[in-house]
Amino acid sequence: MSNIPALEVENLTKKIKRKLIIKGVSFTLYPGEVFGFLGPNGAGKTTTIRMIVGLISPTSGTIKIGGKNVRTEFTEAMRHLGCIVENPELYPYLTGWENLEHFANMDSSIPKSRLQEVVALVGLSNRIHDRVSTYSLGMRQRLGIAQALLGKPKVLILDEPTNGLDPAGIREMREFIRTLAREENLSVLVSSHLLSEIQLMCDRVAIISKGAVIRTDSVQNLLAEQERVIWKAEPLSLAKEILERETEVQEGLDGTLITLYDEPLLPEWNEKLVQAGVKVKEMRTQLPSLEDLFLEVTGGESID
Amino acid sequence: MKPVLKKYTLTIVSAVSIAASLLWLFGLGWTLQDQFTANEKFEQPKEKTESATSKKEDGKLTIFALGDSLTRGTGDADGKGYTGYLSDLLKEKSEQDINLFNTAIKGETSRGLLNQIQQGEIQRQAKQADVVVMTIGGNDLFQQGAVLESLDMNAINGKKQIYLRNVNNIYKQLRELNGDAVIYHVGLYNPFSNLPDAKTTSSVVRDWNFETAETAAEYENIVYVPTFDLFQLQVENYLYSDQFHPNKEGYKLIAERVASLITFEQKGDES
Amino acid sequence: MINLVRNEMLKLLRKKRLYVIALIIAFLVPLFTYAQFKEIQDQREKMGTQDWRTVLQQEITDTQNRLSSSRIQDEWRKYLKIRLSQQQYYLENDIDPRAPGAPTFMRIFVENSIDLLLPLLVMVIVADLVSSEASGGTIKLLLTRPVKRWRILLSKYLAMLLSVSFIVLSVAVLSYGISGLVFGYGGWNMPLLTGFAVSGDELLTDNVHIVPQWQYILMEFGLVWYVCVIVGTLTFMLSVLLRSTAAVMGIMLASLIAGAILVNMVSSWESAKYFFMVNLNLTNYVSGMATPIEGMSLGFSMAVLAVWGLAGFIIAFVTFSKRDIY
Repeated sequence: MSNIPALEVENLTKKIKRKLIIKGVSFTLYPGEVFGFLGPNGAGKTTTIRMIVGLISPTSGTIKIGGKNVRTEFTEAMRHLGCIVENPELYPYLTGWENLEHFANMDSSIPKSRLQEVVALVGLSNRIHDRVSTYSLGMRQRLGIAQALLGKPKVLILDEPTNGLDPAGIREMREFIRTLAREENLSVLVSSHLLSEIQLMCDRVAIISKGAVIRTDSVQNLLAEQERVIWKAEPLSLAKEILERETEVQEGLDGTLITLYDEPLLPEWNEKLVQAGVKVKEMRTQLPSLEDLFLEVTGGESID
Repeated sequence: MKPVLKKYTLTIVSAVSIAASLLWLFGLGWTLQDQFTANEKFEQPKEKTESATSKKEDGKLTIFALGDSLTRGTGDADGKGYTGYLSDLLKEKSEQDINLFNTAIKGETSRGLLNQIQQGEIQRQAKQADVVVMTIGGNDLFQQGAVLESLDMNAINGKKQIYLRNVNNIYKQLRELNGDAVIYHVGLYNPFSNLPDAKTTSSVVRDWNFETAETAAEYENIVYVPTFDLFQLQVENYLYSDQFHPNKEGYKLIAERVASLITFEQKGDES
Repeated sequence: MINLVRNEMLKLLRKKRLYVIALIIAFLVPLFTYAQFKEIQDQREKMGTQDWRTVLQQEITDTQNRLSSSRIQDEWRKYLKIRLSQQQYYLENDIDPRAPGAPTFMRIFVENSIDLLLPLLVMVIVADLVSSEASGGTIKLLLTRPVKRWRILLSKYLAMLLSVSFIVLSVAVLSYGISGLVFGYGGWNMPLLTGFAVSGDELLTDNVHIVPQWQYILMEFGLVWYVCVIVGTLTFMLSVLLRSTAAVMGIMLASLIAGAILVNMVSSWESAKYFFMVNLNLTNYVSGMATPIEGMSLGFSMAVLAVWGLAGFIIAFVTFSKRDIY
């Protein structure tokens, strides 16, 4: 991973009718990483993304794409950006090829040969000369990605890329995004409200809620931090008493105890329990899902 | 459609549109230049009237009608007036097609008529005519009935002199324009002959008619057609509800009288 | 920029709007040709002659008769007087203002369609130029390109100008081509009078001069194009402001039709002359017809239209470059 950020968002705010919608969002994307943007509907994901791509002007804060400020160097910044905001809405009355030509015409730095390349890349060669109105949603999604990749961008922004796709399509998309990041050294910003998606796709995640980023970290770190140990022991009350001397203990639903996962101390705790005559029946570690994590960091805000 | 063809369509449509834009822009510029800069004094277009006149339509009898509301046909429920019935009658009798040019204007006075026949087109039509029919003088004399109420003889005489001078000029002009066509000047009747003052008004109208007939007599082929007698006895049956203009029956009477004269003249011509 | 305009033209063509417009015109022209043909035939029958001078003389006489009636309105009287002196002028100078022929039909057709039909056709093309991108969501892809917003809008505006020119050209070509089948294709050099000015009751003939019909037609089409461009610009502005194409069409339709109605009844409401829609009938100034409101002239109407057009243009560009796209 290089250290020059592909996308830098700093202290971004947006005020609409005196109401602060986005309250100082900051994050950074490095080349080759897939960055997840996670939050419930209405948290401000889409507004933030639209500010990054220049559709909405921010009230304050700076956005740099490939080192170029979106506000002051709009055209240079946009050269480094490819995006699909919400659904890939293309011109249904044009063919896929004409759509691509249309967008390629808008950037003189794109050579004609690039069109064939991206068509091959997204695997649309067979149907590219058909009208878009005859395409399935998955094909439209792929054409959308093709148009986003036309200008060989450094940053690819995908807003809810798996929306409306079937499970096979979702897996395909996920692999495709990972490949892009790995092989073309592309930074990808993926927004989603589906935690499982983000968990499988992303290197790092920003969790956004009510217009502010609550946490930004690598997926592994976030998950590791929350790793738990689940104990099944008898008598339960005695076990609890002993463990509470060492660490924080929660009582599980089905007669279990839950403590933090602290690898070096674990054998010690176990030994103490055994010495006190507690029968340890089961001891296992559990990785929480982002779901749990999310509930925890947002304080139980619902997510769909 | 093949994509290649489509591409050409796009280029062609665009090129045509650009060319059209330039053309319209030029048209707009020309309009501005033409409408906002003062043009050199308008040069009269060549008088082509002369050449246009001479062709007469053969095999058709052309009636040229001029004058006032009587010729126009005011009061006739069918709107034909005596000229309409006249051409109907003549068509029947002569089995010829009739061209009727009616240039009469309601309320026309002898002065107005004199002005009107200065117009080029009127003159051209007058030249083409085989027969001219006209009524004039009613508005000079009656002026919608106002003059006869006072019955001021001096005023009436003054008007008469002016009228006679105008009529004389009209005759002269028409004769100059067309020496061949017979002119039928349809005379005045007294629309007030059933009113208390009938005696006085009738004498005024008679006198007026007499003097006009005298003037007409000085020209060749001008026939003064009396109508006084037609309306003398049963005037209320022949008048329109305004008690001034003839109704359908009244116009038919006039038409029959004129028609009989024309048939006679036509025969005379042929023999 | 050429590439951008090319894009817009491609989209316009693919939406098949231009063809539809051409079809509408191709359908209407025969209709009017037939109506015109019938009128001429009717006149011939009524007059029993083919000589236009007689017809015109008859019209003059009719007009004079109407004028002598005491019951007519002042407005109407004024109109009749102007018509009368103009007709007499034509007659005296041996000019047939309605000589049949395709160019004459073209001229009459365009004079009658300048205030409603053509603006409507323009509106159909322009109404969704921007609003369809907004409602279809494609505007998000369009505005995230390395192209400044005003350039994108300008390319759309230029495409609008081109399609307006195309529509006006279709009207010219179709009306000439189709009506010529009936009336013949000649008559380009027929002399016509222009330069009439109306001042109060009087028809001023100081600046009257003769132009050949082809020049007259070119001039009128220039004016038609101007009107269409202004209507196009205003529709364009609405298309920027509103997401819904139907709303754009509704507003334009209402104002155009309101204009057509207003023209007939605003003569005493003087400030109505600053509405754009009562100023659309520019060709009337060239042919010397009465103005709907006292004090209107070709220069005045063109200036009013220019102000409206410019305002629309500025509003469109300012809003478009500043607006947040949700």
